[in-house]
Amino acid sequence: MKLDLIFTGVGGQGVVVLSDIFCEAAMLDGFDVAKAEIHGMAQRGGSISAHVRVGEKVLSPLIETGKAEVVVGFEVLETARAMTMLKQKGTVVVNTKYIPPGGELSGSGKAYSVESLLELIRKKALKVHEVDGIALASKLGNLLVVNTILLGAVSALPEVPIKIGSFQQAIAGRLKEKYIQLNLRAFQLGRESVLSR
Amino acid sequence: MAPKIASDKPNSFLLLNGDEAVARGALEAGIKVAAAYPGTPSTEILEAIAAVAKQFGIYAEWSINEIVAMEVAVGASMAGVRSIVSMKHVGLNVAADAAMTLAYTGVVGGLVIAVCDDPAMHSSQNEQDTRYFAIHSNIPLLDAGSPQEAYEMTRDAFELSEILQLPILVRLTTRVAHGKARVKIGKFQALKRKAEFDKECAKWVMVPQNALRQHRILKSRLTQAEKLVNESKFNIIEDNNKEMGVIGSGIGFYHAKSLLEQGQFSWLKLGAVYPFPRGLVERFVSKLKKVIVVEELRPYVEDNLHGLNVEVLGKEQLGLEEIGEFTPDGIRTAFAEQGYLSPAEPQTTEELPQRPPGLCPGCPHRAFYYAINTVNQFVSCNPEKCVGCDICELACSWEKEKVFNPTKSRIRAVRLNIITNVALTCRLCPDAACIQACPKDALSQSKETRIITVDPDKCNGCGWCVEACEYGSLTLHPTKHQAIACDTCNGDPKCVQACPESALTFMGRANDKIVTGDIGCYTLGCLPPVNTVQTCLCMGGGISQAAGMAHAGVKDKTFAVIGDSTFFHGGMPGLLNIAYNKANVCVVVLDNRTVAMTGHQPTPESGKTAMGDDAKIVNVEAIAKSLGIEKIDAIDPYDLKKTTQVLRETMNYKGPSVIISLRPCPLKIEKGPLRQVQQTCNGCGLCVKAYGCPAISLNGNRAEIDETLCSGCGVCEQVCPFNAIRSKDAQ
Repeated sequence: MKLDLIFTGVGGQGVVVLSDIFCEAAMLDGFDVAKAEIHGMAQRGGSISAHVRVGEKVLSPLIETGKAEVVVGFEVLETARAMTMLKQKGTVVVNTKYIPPGGELSGSGKAYSVESLLELIRKKALKVHEVDGIALASKLGNLLVVNTILLGAVSALPEVPIKIGSFQQAIAGRLKEKYIQLNLRAFQLGRESVLSR
Repeated sequence: MAPKIASDKPNSFLLLNGDEAVARGALEAGIKVAAAYPGTPSTEILEAIAAVAKQFGIYAEWSINEIVAMEVAVGASMAGVRSIVSMKHVGLNVAADAAMTLAYTGVVGGLVIAVCDDPAMHSSQNEQDTRYFAIHSNIPLLDAGSPQEAYEMTRDAFELSEILQLPILVRLTTRVAHGKARVKIGKFQALKRKAEFDKECAKWVMVPQNALRQHRILKSRLTQAEKLVNESKFNIIEDNNKEMGVIGSGIGFYHAKSLLEQGQFSWLKLGAVYPFPRGLVERFVSKLKKVIVVEELRPYVEDNLHGLNVEVLGKEQLGLEEIGEFTPDGIRTAFAEQGYLSPAEPQTTEELPQRPPGLCPGCPHRAFYYAINTVNQFVSCNPEKCVGCDICELACSWEKEKVFNPTKSRIRAVRLNIITNVALTCRLCPDAACIQACPKDALSQSKETRIITVDPDKCNGCGWCVEACEYGSLTLHPTKHQAIACDTCNGDPKCVQACPESALTFMGRANDKIVTGDIGCYTLGCLPPVNTVQTCLCMGGGISQAAGMAHAGVKDKTFAVIGDSTFFHGGMPGLLNIAYNKANVCVVVLDNRTVAMTGHQPTPESGKTAMGDDAKIVNVEAIAKSLGIEKIDAIDPYDLKKTTQVLRETMNYKGPSVIISLRPCPLKIEKGPLRQVQQTCNGCGLCVKAYGCPAISLNGNRAEIDETLCSGCGVCEQVCPFNAIRSKDAQ
């Protein structure tokens, strides 16, 4: 078994924490894991992506371009950017939120809408699971659980061989007591958003 | 939830990054003292230790800089206990003075210097290869290629340090330090050691006589070290009886091993790299015809293979650069050229807008930079946009004379040629020529604002000032026959508001000041649209660079910006130096009360230590005063008006001065009232184009504020010339 995933988004969205929980869950199921991410200056409002590799034995923490089985995107522009990392006919889980890159800084005259970015994603991926994280999170009354909803969605992919119980244990192990129940509900909601399709 | 690195389950697996793995290794080895100065990617080493320090009976501190941290750890080692000091590669330069002599004195208690290199400079100002520092300083080095190795190397390095009586460098690179992986942990060692210092021992006093003897001892220790590295368990041969071999150090080895057909080569992973394990390497290559070397940054291993009877494929032959970090993609390309791998499939890519890092929403540094950019600002016109419609003239004459009469305007639209128009008004020149030209002393200029005023009792309308102005900015009033000049409507020019083409802007004069900087969040002030910070050399460097420029005689006023932590780290000596030598420099301490860039570690101004104890707060103003600085201003950068006023005064002050720009990092405090854009917004874009807060974007003809990002600082409200941004609470 070998599974390569890219988690991507904008600094501050929780990419690092979520990919950690994913690795913890994989370890509970006895897999070797390695991941790579960047902290420090690079995280201040910039693009963030974490490479996550799961397998019997993992040597390098970095995934080759065009070889990731799954891309998990917290934001559509960053997800579209990560399409070079996805293998042909790979799977994408994408939160449909768009965060515009700062005005003068964007450097591209072209205007992108959520729909045009999703179109770029669909071009490369075989399966795209679009998750309206904000809408689902507001059902639970807390916008901060968007990333746990995405984790739930990822957990429901047939490519991901990790047990639900391991995800739940990893979530509980990472959070403060008072947030555990809320996040487990968010996880379930994310799972259903993929399974109900 | 207890921090996981304190886990007492030997042989179990933890998900650790390389830094945490170093911390775990040090804990298992029974350290008593840990010291560091935060620096990406090494910060989490001390963070992890400090979090459990009390539980383990350890003393942990954020020292004020790396050499101090090293000296603290050395002191503990001299007293016989184990200690660790950690830093990033450039931090090792700061500690170099201590490190270079440390190999001479040697150590008593095991001492590990954990250093994180940053290939590709994700958060650094240069790329260094600490393996070369090991040669330079004669300190043995272990090179970790994974968190598991980082953990094991650190744990074992304490033993090695005590056998050799030398400090040991444990080197990580960013991908190891900040990469997480499954790490198999071991047992905590109970060391029952009393801290005692041998006062009679002459090896601690490096006067020449002792140092010469110690240098000889050091050479014999290195000979012993070479024997040990030849047998080190961190140098692993996988002999597949092949004619081709691969030698690698650090993470590059694992990238190569992930990609290449395993059985096709014999493999040597080098972990103990200085002293170079010559015997072992010679044995390995003696069976080979060809050897491939895979190592990031400098060709250290490769250089050591010269003269051996084997063909070496190194950096040059493989086309692998000394610049940047290795990626599986780059290694595939290199090996594909040699025919060992298939080339990567080409990717079609869409050119998407970049999302570079920047100052956060609500960042007080951004507010300060905006203020300094706009000091001495004047109305400027973009001729590409100006259509010569004269509306600015009408707006000006109405504002000043309550008539719509272009001849009574302080701004004039001029047709330059058949297609180009431009509007001209006062440029607020320093030492303005118009004033010098006036034979009646009728013109005067404000020191603070540089605005020209005309004394009606003295001006006789001779027009010499009009002649003297090279910008054609002054005019004579048609009926009063006296000179008139723009006064910027007290910082809120009506012409700019009225211009239908957005050709006029009230923008900063970038060419009358120099702003030097150094290392911290505030370095991001070099990026657009702020574009304020003009240098970044090393910690504290900006202050002395500004002093050098001032002493060299630059025309512009020099400002040096520095964060509070960096000020304590390397800025204080620079400030003393400018104070004593009277440099015309204004040192701006951008004081956000934390080391924000590396994740909010405490500074001597935070009132907390690394272990969470209360501490007496050190006051920057008191330091500046005690060094003899006579002009010291404390400002709140969120108050643009006051900040600009202080900056204007400072522009004209000659001599060393200090501005303390005090506002805690917004990531650490509660949000203020959110801001909203009113219907009256005309989309001028100043808030985006000149201020550049990431929470604000332009959507068609209106600005928009993302409430999930807005910190409620309210600076945009002051930036907007049209009062179109207001507090949500105020409505």
